[in-house]
Amino acid sequence: SPGRRRRRGPAAEGGSPRDGGSMSCEVSVLYFARSAELAGLRCETLSVPQQITSLQLWEEIVKVHPRLAVIRDQVVFAVRQEYVLLGDQLLVLQPGDEVAIIPPISGG
Amino acid sequence: MEESEGVPKDFIKLKSEKLSVDEVSELVVSPYCGAVSLFIGTTRNNFEGKKVIHLEYEAYTSMAETEIKKICRDVRQKWPSVKHIAMYHRLGVVPITEASVIIAVSSPHRAESLEAVTYCINTLKASVPIWKKEIYKDEYSWKENKECFWANSEK
Repeated sequence: SPGRRRRRGPAAEGGSPRDGGSMSCEVSVLYFARSAELAGLRCETLSVPQQITSLQLWEEIVKVHPRLAVIRDQVVFAVRQEYVLLGDQLLVLQPGDEVAIIPPISGG
Repeated sequence: MEESEGVPKDFIKLKSEKLSVDEVSELVVSPYCGAVSLFIGTTRNNFEGKKVIHLEYEAYTSMAETEIKKICRDVRQKWPSVKHIAMYHRLGVVPITEASVIIAVSSPHRAESLEAVTYCINTLKASVPIWKKEIYKDEYSWKENKECFWANSEK
């Protein structure tokens, strides 16, 4: 569920059982450039499964912000400040992790 | 000569104020170095026939600084004689002809600093999470560096 207030507490948060009983955790999602315009905000806390592929994580975020779907082929993630392509890569997320939506860059 | 002048330093800054070529080049000057090489990225006033009013930059600041530090580390591995490196990038509104980025590198002889500066700007464009928006009269456009490996090549 989107927009839940972040709570300080034990390291692992017990979520309701999902497929396979995986736990969920709250991560900070950061939006930049075009993705911030499409989502209408720059950051929020989302509750997502702790173990999730990068593509599944994208789909969770698009459920909250459907307008992001148009940039799916152009973005990557930065999870804990490491670039991750959208695909099968399995992420193991920790509470408070930063997940950033990274549209094509244009520095310099 | 003070001993501290021999210690190689990296100067990394993202800021919204106007960048100064004098300030950035002075950071890397060293009595051990015969060369300071410089790159200045400035803003053009046109794109595909449209007049650019100004540029706006934003950054994932903490990660951008980390990625720039990685570039400095790579430079020192590839060109061990490089002494100091400065990489300054402007954020927010950048008027036409003003500098968006200044990179300065010092080395005892010129070949290394010239090559290192080229590497710095090319790698910055490929890996540092900074975004540029071109503002035209009636519209704007988020730019995409061709160096960006995940960018859609078709517009």
